[in-house]
Amino acid sequence: MVLGLGGRFLGKASGWIAVAAEGLALLAGVWIALTEASASTVYHDRSFVWFSLPDGTNLVMGTLVSPLGALMLIVVNVVGFLVVLYSIEYMGHEEGLPRYYAELMLFLTAMNGVVLADNYVEFILFWELVGLCSYLLIGFFWKRPSAASAAKKAFLVTRVGDVMFFVGVFIFFTAFATQTVNPAFASSVSVYPGASCPGHLTPTWACSGFVFAPPNTDSNVPFLAASALSGAANQTLMTLGGIMILGGAAGKSAQFPLHTWLPDAMEGPTTVSALIHAATMVAAGVFLLAITSMYLGFTPDAALVILGIGGFTALFAGTMGLVANDIKRVIAYSTMSQLGYMTMAVGAASFLVVGPGAGMYHLFTHAFFKALLFLSAGSVIHALNTQDLFEMGGLLKAMPVTGYTMLIGALALSGVPPFSGFFSKDALLSLTWTAAQKDPVALPFFLMAATGVFLTALYTFRLWFLTFSGSKGRSEAAHHAHEPSWIMRAPLVTLAALSVVAGFFPLIGGFNHWLPGLSYGIFGFTQTSKGWVFAAADLELAIASLALAFAGIAVAFALWGNGRVFHLADDSVWKAPQKVLVRKYYFDEAYDGLAHGVILGAARVFDWVDRYVIDGTIHGFEQVFSMASLRARRAQTGLVSSYAMWIVFGLVLLLIFVLYGIPYLGTLWGG
Amino acid sequence: MNVDALLFALVAGAGIVTALGALMAREVVHTIMWIAVFFITLALTYFLLLAAFLGVLQLAVYAGAVTILLLFAVMVVRKRIFSREAAIGIGAPAVALTFLVAYLMLEMATSVYTSEPGQGYSVADLSRNLFTLNGAWVLALGLVMLSALVGAIYLAHESRGKAIRSEEGA
Amino acid sequence: MIPLDELLGFSGVLFAIGIFGVLTRRNFILLLVSIEIIMNAAILNFIAFAAYSPSGSPSGQSIAVILIGLAATEIAVGLAIVLALNRIIGSVNVAQAMELKL
Repeated sequence: MVLGLGGRFLGKASGWIAVAAEGLALLAGVWIALTEASASTVYHDRSFVWFSLPDGTNLVMGTLVSPLGALMLIVVNVVGFLVVLYSIEYMGHEEGLPRYYAELMLFLTAMNGVVLADNYVEFILFWELVGLCSYLLIGFFWKRPSAASAAKKAFLVTRVGDVMFFVGVFIFFTAFATQTVNPAFASSVSVYPGASCPGHLTPTWACSGFVFAPPNTDSNVPFLAASALSGAANQTLMTLGGIMILGGAAGKSAQFPLHTWLPDAMEGPTTVSALIHAATMVAAGVFLLAITSMYLGFTPDAALVILGIGGFTALFAGTMGLVANDIKRVIAYSTMSQLGYMTMAVGAASFLVVGPGAGMYHLFTHAFFKALLFLSAGSVIHALNTQDLFEMGGLLKAMPVTGYTMLIGALALSGVPPFSGFFSKDALLSLTWTAAQKDPVALPFFLMAATGVFLTALYTFRLWFLTFSGSKGRSEAAHHAHEPSWIMRAPLVTLAALSVVAGFFPLIGGFNHWLPGLSYGIFGFTQTSKGWVFAAADLELAIASLALAFAGIAVAFALWGNGRVFHLADDSVWKAPQKVLVRKYYFDEAYDGLAHGVILGAARVFDWVDRYVIDGTIHGFEQVFSMASLRARRAQTGLVSSYAMWIVFGLVLLLIFVLYGIPYLGTLWGG
Repeated sequence: MNVDALLFALVAGAGIVTALGALMAREVVHTIMWIAVFFITLALTYFLLLAAFLGVLQLAVYAGAVTILLLFAVMVVRKRIFSREAAIGIGAPAVALTFLVAYLMLEMATSVYTSEPGQGYSVADLSRNLFTLNGAWVLALGLVMLSALVGAIYLAHESRGKAIRSEEGA
Repeated sequence: MIPLDELLGFSGVLFAIGIFGVLTRRNFILLLVSIEIIMNAAILNFIAFAAYSPSGSPSGQSIAVILIGLAATEIAVGLAIVLALNRIIGSVNVAQAMELKL
C-alpha cells in the first residue's frame, strides 16, 4: 500500500519510473480515500505487533485510514504526482537525477506513512523520515554552500521542535496510556454516531458524533473519557503536553519561534519547495495538531497558545513577505503565513471543542494553490534563470499559461470568491472570531489574522505584478522568455483547475466527516439527526475579509501594477522598518547571539568553577592518590591475561557471595 | 540408565575432551579442528534438550561460520602463528582459580531448584516469543552488530594500521 | 530428559575450561576460542533452563538465539583485532600487546 520503492536507479529513465510509481500511489490513495468515505467504520489494522514491552505495552505498527488521513492522502498524492511529472522537464538537465527521484519517492512514502500511521510512535518514525528527506532534498545542490547550510539549518531547527514533540508524546503517554500506546490517537476523529455525551462538553464536538476511541475496541472509550473528562487527568500536565506537541508542529510547520529555516529552505530545487515546503511536509505539522486536537480540547490554555502562535505568525510572516525580492522567498513567507492561519484555526477549534475541520479545509485548498504558485514560479525561473523579481516583468505575453495559472493561484491565496482560498480562509476566520467572542484573549490574534488577509493580498499581487505585468521585461533574459513544454504546463493547468474547485469540496455529499467541525463560514455544516446541514454563515465577516483582500490588491496595483517599480526612497520613514524586515527581524542574528552568549557564558562559569573549585579539590586528592598510585601501578602490568585473572578473581568472589553469602544473610535476617 | 542419559554422558564427555583438546593442541589449526567438534557436541546436546532449532543454529553459525572465520584468520596471519609460540605460562594462581571456579560452578549446579521438564517448543512459538517479548533485544542486537561492523571495518582498514605505526614511529 | 543439574554441571566444567584458557594462553586466536567456550557454556545454561521452564515460555531459547548472534559478532570483531594486532606489532601474542598500559 505504501508505495513500492524498488528499482529507481536507472539514469534518465528514473523520472518516468517515478512518475509511474507515484501515479500508482495516487490511484491507490484515491481508492483508499474513497473507500473510507463510503465505509461505515474506520479502516483500522493493528494486527502487527512490532514488539511488546515487559509491562505488557504493545508497540503496534498499524494502518489507520482516518477521515483526516484520507483527506491528507489525496492532497499528498495528487500534489506529489503532479510535482514528479513537472520535475521531468524542470530537473531534466541536473546531475544526480536518480538520487533526486529516490529521495522524492522516499519522501512521499514517508509522508503517506505519517498520514496512515496508527499511533504516535509510528507517526514519529515516519515524521523523522520526512525530516531526513527534507534535509536531503534541500541540500540537493550540495555543492552550493548556501544550500548545504540551509539543509543543516532546516534539520537542526526542526530537531528542536521534534525534541519538544517527543516530550509531548511522553506526557500524553503518562496522562492517558497504560495498556496500549495511545488508545485515543488510534482512532483519530471518527464518526461514531450514538456515542454517549461525555458530561460538560455538551452540546459541542463530542456530542455531535465525534468520539476519540477506536470503534473496534470499545473498551477504550470509557477509559479516555473517564480519565480526561472527569478532570482526573492532570490539567497542568495536559497543558504542558499540548504546548510541547505545538513545539513539534511549529518546528515542522515553521511557526513563529522556529520559523527561520523555511525561507532558507528555498535553496532546494523549486519542485522540492512546491512539494515539501508548500503542500505536504509543512502540512504535517498542522496535521499533527489536527489529530491531537481531541486532546487539546481538554486544555483551553494550550489551545489558546496555539491560536496565538498561529495568528501571530500569520501576520509576522506576511510582513517579511512584503520586502523579499526573491520570487521563491515571497511564496515561502506566504506559506508560513498560511500555515499560521491553519495553526490558529486548529487552536481555535480545540478551544471551542469542535473538530479541526476548518484548519484542514484550508490545508486542503492551500496545498493546491500553493503548489500551483511554486510550480508557476519554477516555470518562470526555468525560463529566465533568475529568481529576482526586479529582473522580471512583462512576462504575461511571453508566458500566458504560466501567467494566468499563477493569477488563479494568487487570487486563491488572496481569498477572492470563486477561488478556493476564499472559502477556507473565511471558515477559519469566522471560527477564530467565534473563539474571540468567547474569550477576549484571542481577539488581538484575530485582528492580526485579519490584517494578515490584507498583507497576503498585497504581497501576492506585488509578486504577480512585478513578474507579469507591464509591457516589457527589466532584464535581457526576460525578453527571451518562453513557455515550457506540456510536461510542465499540464501540472500547472491541473493545479489551477483544482485551485478553483477545491473550495467547493464541502458541497459534495458524503465527504463531510472528513472535515469535522467545519461548522463556520460560508460552507459550514453541522450534523443533525437528519444528516449534514449547512449552518448559517457569518456574511458580514466574509464581506469584510473580501474588502481587505481587494484593498490589498488595489494597493499592490497602485504601487507595482502595469510594470511600475516601486522602491522606497532612502530618506523615507519606512526605510528603517524595511531594513528590519529584510533582515527577518534579526532572528538569525538573535539565535546566533543567543547560542554564542549562552554557550560562551556557560563556558566561562564552568571554567571558573573548574579552575578554582574542582581543581582545588583535585589537587588535594592528587597528593593522596599519587602516593597510592605508585603502589597500585605495579598491579597494572598491561598484560591482557593478568587483567583476565583479576576479572576471574572477582567472579569467584561473586560466586562465593551468591552461594554462601546470601543464604547466610538469609538465615541472619529472615530466620 | 536410559538412552537419553547414556547419550548425554557420551556427548558431554566428548564436549569436555574436545574443549580441553582445543586448548592443549600444539598447532593452532588443530585447535580449530577441535573446537569445531566441540561446537558439534553442543549442538547434539541441544537436540537432546528438544531444542532442534537451536541445534541447527549452532551447527550453522558456530560449527560452520565461526570455524571458517577462525580458519580464515589463521590463514591470513599464517607465517607468525602457524605453530604455537614457545612459552605457555601455566601459572599456579591460574590453575588454582580454574579449579575454584569449577568447584563453585558444580556446587551451584547441584543447589538449583528443578521443576518438571517441558515438551520442547515449536519454531513458531520461539519466533513469536523472540520478536514480541524479546523484540527489544533483537533490536539491540541489530545495533550491536551494526556498530561491530563499523568497528571491524575501522580496525581492519589498511591505512588505519599505517597511521598507528607512523604515530608510534614519531 | 537429561537432569538439569547434570546439564549445569557440564556447562560449569566447560566454563572453567574456558576460564583456564583465557588465563593461560598467550595466542590471541586461542583467547578467542576460550571466550567462545565460555559463551557456549552460558548459552547451554539458557537452553537448559528453557527446557525446564515452569511457565512454559521459550524466552530462554530466544535469549540463546540472540547470544549466538552476539557471539558471532564478537568473533568478527575479535578477528579484526587479530588482523590489526598482526599488522601493528607483527605478532598475535597478547604478551607483546602491552599498549593497554600507557
